[in-house]
Amino acid sequence: MSDVQKRVVTIPEIATVVEVKDEIQDVKTFYLKFDNPEVDANFKIKSGQFVMLTVFGYGESAISLPPSPENDRFHLSVRKVGKVTDALHNLVAGDKVGIRGPFGNGFPFEEIKGKNIIYVAGGIGLIPLRSSIVHVLQNRKDFGRIIVLLGARTPNDLMYQNDIEEWLKIEGFECYVTVDQKTEGWKGETGFVNSLIEKANVPVENTVAFVCGPPVMFNSVIGDLMSRGLKDDCIISTLERHMKCGIGKCQHCAIGRTLVCTDGPVYTYKQIKTLGEVI
Amino acid sequence: MDYKSGVCNFCGTGCGNYLNIQDGKVSGVFSSRNHPVSKGRLCVRGWHFHELLMTDHRISSPMIKVDGNFKNVSYDEAISFMMEKMAKYSDNAAEETAFLASPRSSNENNYLFGKLARSVFKTNNITLDSESGHRSSMNVLGEGAGFPGMTGSLEDISKTKFILVVGSDITKMNPIIGSEIHKAQMAGTKVVTISSRVTQIARLSNVHLQIKPGSKKSFLAAMAKAVIEENKLDADFVTASTEGFDGFATSVNKFNMTDVLSLTGIDSETIKQMAGELCSAESAMAFWSTGISGLDQDSVSYIYNLMLLAGKIGEENCGANPITGICNLQGGYDMGTAPDLLTGFQKLSDNDAAAKFEKSWGVKLNKDSGKDLYEMLADKNSKLKCLVVADHDEGIVKYSKEIEALEFVAYFGTFENPFVKFADVVFPIAGVIEDEGTYTNTERRVQLSRKRVEPFENVMPGWKLFPMIAAKASLSWKYSSPEDVFKEITSLTPSYSGMTYEKIEKSFGLQWPCNDKFPEGCKRLDGASAGRKFKFAPVTGSFAVPSASADYPILLIASQGQHFWHQNNIMKKTYIPKREYNATLLVYPKGYIEICKDDAAKLQVREHWNVKIVSSHGSMIVAVKISEDVKTGTAYVPYFIREMISSFLLEHNQEFDRGEDTIIPIRIERI
Amino acid sequence: MYLIEKNNVMKLAEELAKSYFLYGPVVDKETKQVFFNKVESASEISLTAEIPSIPPKTVVFPQIERILEYKYEKDSKKVQMNADFDTSSKALFGIRPCDLTGILVLDRFFMGLEFVDDVYLEHRKRMFIVSNTCTVPFKQCFCVCTDSGPAAEEGYDLNLTDLGDMYLVETGSDKGREFAEKMGLQKAGAEHTLEKKNAVDKSISLFEKLATDNKAWISRVMNRVTTGFIKDEVWEHIGKQCFECGACTFVCPTCSCFNIEDHNKFSGSTDRLRTWDSCSFEGYTKMAGDHNPRHPVEDRRNKRFFCKLSYSQSKKYLRPGCVGCGRCQWVCPGDIGLPNVVTYIRREITE
Repeated sequence: MSDVQKRVVTIPEIATVVEVKDEIQDVKTFYLKFDNPEVDANFKIKSGQFVMLTVFGYGESAISLPPSPENDRFHLSVRKVGKVTDALHNLVAGDKVGIRGPFGNGFPFEEIKGKNIIYVAGGIGLIPLRSSIVHVLQNRKDFGRIIVLLGARTPNDLMYQNDIEEWLKIEGFECYVTVDQKTEGWKGETGFVNSLIEKANVPVENTVAFVCGPPVMFNSVIGDLMSRGLKDDCIISTLERHMKCGIGKCQHCAIGRTLVCTDGPVYTYKQIKTLGEVI
Repeated sequence: MDYKSGVCNFCGTGCGNYLNIQDGKVSGVFSSRNHPVSKGRLCVRGWHFHELLMTDHRISSPMIKVDGNFKNVSYDEAISFMMEKMAKYSDNAAEETAFLASPRSSNENNYLFGKLARSVFKTNNITLDSESGHRSSMNVLGEGAGFPGMTGSLEDISKTKFILVVGSDITKMNPIIGSEIHKAQMAGTKVVTISSRVTQIARLSNVHLQIKPGSKKSFLAAMAKAVIEENKLDADFVTASTEGFDGFATSVNKFNMTDVLSLTGIDSETIKQMAGELCSAESAMAFWSTGISGLDQDSVSYIYNLMLLAGKIGEENCGANPITGICNLQGGYDMGTAPDLLTGFQKLSDNDAAAKFEKSWGVKLNKDSGKDLYEMLADKNSKLKCLVVADHDEGIVKYSKEIEALEFVAYFGTFENPFVKFADVVFPIAGVIEDEGTYTNTERRVQLSRKRVEPFENVMPGWKLFPMIAAKASLSWKYSSPEDVFKEITSLTPSYSGMTYEKIEKSFGLQWPCNDKFPEGCKRLDGASAGRKFKFAPVTGSFAVPSASADYPILLIASQGQHFWHQNNIMKKTYIPKREYNATLLVYPKGYIEICKDDAAKLQVREHWNVKIVSSHGSMIVAVKISEDVKTGTAYVPYFIREMISSFLLEHNQEFDRGEDTIIPIRIERI
Repeated sequence: MYLIEKNNVMKLAEELAKSYFLYGPVVDKETKQVFFNKVESASEISLTAEIPSIPPKTVVFPQIERILEYKYEKDSKKVQMNADFDTSSKALFGIRPCDLTGILVLDRFFMGLEFVDDVYLEHRKRMFIVSNTCTVPFKQCFCVCTDSGPAAEEGYDLNLTDLGDMYLVETGSDKGREFAEKMGLQKAGAEHTLEKKNAVDKSISLFEKLATDNKAWISRVMNRVTTGFIKDEVWEHIGKQCFECGACTFVCPTCSCFNIEDHNKFSGSTDRLRTWDSCSFEGYTKMAGDHNPRHPVEDRRNKRFFCKLSYSQSKKYLRPGCVGCGRCQWVCPGDIGLPNVVTYIRREITE
């Protein structure tokens, strides 16, 4: 983190929107390039981190970073949820945005080498997990089974379908998908994402699970994983909180004694349990 | 030093503050420790006053509408445009022209606005915006006690022994008054709140009587009857200082004590006990909110009469205290922005008073009372064609269809406002602290707000702009400062006649009446020096309460949200208060209905589920919020969510016009 | 250690005013309210004024502060951006020990953790601090309970103590020593140290009689707050009295929560403003499209007192978050200034 500290951390760097892609309803992906080539070349990110994104004239918002560190253009997938993200959705290629960061701790890849990796994502919970999946697949040999369990409300709410098709070509990548409500033409599973845990026969020994999704889904998935015997320190999630500064000063993202922006946003479930507030 | 003393400009409490002015710009606010009302406190609004003053969401230039589009013009052009357009209504102005004044304008601006209406545009159709509830209170106290204002004083709250709070949540509407009541309670004052929903002031009271919706009047009548029947009344006081007791006693007698439990949900023993405590207390005050959420005149009459029975009017640390929600609501009436009033509640029909104004203004006045704007808009046969509006405060425009249909609308305002789109000509005027002006708070305290910064984009202050308009009509109004306007006001207004800017500033304001008899003003109404008896206010003997039916089994209360001033236009110009008002929206984006656990179980609905609310007028879909604050058979919606107001609640305009008790019988359907 | 005659003490301020913007306690002529504010001339400063109503934290952490100005031209896609840090040199003259402690807490928070806050750093970089020992406590004071007075122990360049005819001038930094030497101040001896000790002891002994508004035996409740063994009823009693005005946070010398807003100006450019915020506001943690992790007002109060009074938070500041100034008590529309909350909790412990 020392390289970040030396920089002035309150002033954004300017970036250009290179391309905008529609994902699912209310979610778009923005491909970005820093105007300053030096910044562009040195922009190192770790998956699991986030950036503070300025939409000029509207304000700043914390956005989790989906790109993997390697071979992937810098992009952000963003759901429209408020003033800043609404304004972002109106931007087109050529528009400018401001970026501060990256901030946050990121996923602990070194510590999980050699293990089976399970991803459980509900809806747009896949956005923060995507970069981790890309990273793990790029280092396929370092890991055991790689399983993605994906739930969405309807087939239209499934994120990154093209990516998933690409990933499925990689040997040993397992992906299970379910929707709550099927629409015409849906041939896959219906039901909650929990049901996939059984179906995939997920391992618990030497295994780490990444779980991300809405609170109800989060709690029930964790319940199911733990009842299969997975330990709470082997379950990893990333928390989302209202953030204003990203550098541990404004205190908006404080949960109990932790600050999501500097201590997180990646936590083990063991840590989450001790935070003293509901998720 | 950067800190300059001033007056908070949001609600009617009139707290003192300090503004931090650096390089001619506002950059902060702080509380005033020695101010007699606020004593170092401010509420969430007051602590963010600077955010409002910093906003750039301002009207920056006069504009006229040409072919449906606004065009920036000079003040002179805009005035000529207005005079030309309004000329055709001059022959029948009493029918065709109306003025809507703002409880947010300073006394000086309101006075000039009224003067403009009556002397230049020849109409008495002047209405003070949205605030008929306060007028009811003024009528009762003016007719009854000869004192059209709060009869007590905020400074005395800490000294009174018994406080009765009737209705809405004073801790949210006027937080610093709520704080004062809370602190009195902590120090031993008995505080009794009557309301249909559990509010913060209810939680902070010694006794909260959670009456059935719409039964306040019955409750108050029952209290009055208990006082008389149990012979608790202050007989000496009633005999010596009041008149009309017999008439009131006859009306109250019609109330049947055996009905009290079924009507109000409170048993007669409790009521007798409260009545006894009110009367035996050494001193007592009653508080109720006025303005859009105010009580109807009949309920106010009962409160006032009850206090008379108890001998708590005109005595030390006592008072019947209507609480204003907007900074200069009291001042608006003081300045005569009403169809039938001149300044200081002098009657337009009073020949002597009118003659005084005619002489000062150099015009002939029409002495027939004008009409209320909202009545004119509601009246399908109204001939109204032209409307002149100052600083409309609400973010939602009532009667928007009718206003849109008018031929000509002029708007005078400081901030960008949804009302602007209805206007044909728009005049920006300098805001508070860009101009000097006095504001009269709920306890009749006239305070001076000094000019601290230059006007935004050189917009004109009212005392310059209104005379320019008068000049186009060949009237010469000569003022070289707002102080000149104030001098004219004091020369025409007996209750203000002893005031000067200098005197006001020296003492954190002066409470009217301030004149030869009371050179330092009057903290409270003093029975001994009043020179007249207090009259019992006439009341009706009808005690009907809204009732549920088989089709509509639940009584819906539509009232303030968790925070007051939700759809208020100026609140939207701030950051933190706006965020707070919007906070609930993040959880319930389309609004919510509060019901109790039992009702939710009966309806088989859960927290956050959407339900359909059906009344005889219409329906809407909102989320369920389960709450302990309402009783079985009662539901509550906050009226701050735009969709809810426009699609459903505005359909119940009539219920709203009745005042605070907007009670709508509904049923809730699962969807 | 040096001495200066009482009637010459303002010469120090006058000298500082030559190279610094001068700040100090100022008494408003009209209302007698005391502010800590920038002054035009040293003569405006009063060294005997009571604790300023507004905490001197406003100098390093203003109520509202522009940290960035930008202009985005949508058509040409041009962005102009100016970082706007206040880099002026400031001298705080006559800051009280409690308020100095507050600034040290803010230092540790803004500059001592993982990230250094650039905006704060610029305020603090070129600062000269002259503290002023409280030889008489004021009504609202309880710094003796919070170990932050009546005399400053660290963090000053110069510290003044009223010894009757003279002020004792202690130096706390090289900058302070150089300044004292430059001013040619008379050296003080051991007897003056003793005199100061007596003055401070006397001040402490006066607390019982004079500082009657507040007492807060913080050490007694910190364990309870840290472990969370406080009954829900106590928090409810506190929560129902909260008017959600934010005042306690705004006047607290150590509260540092802020909000950031982009303020669009009539001129077409935008100011990024950083403004005071309070964790007791409902909208503080609320996220768009989501639930609020901290809903009932009791929980939000709880958060603030946890921040001030728990061991785990105190680690950040190396001391409790309360400095005993008593401001929160007099601005609170409820009756839940920190000293009262401590009393409520203590009452529960005793029961």
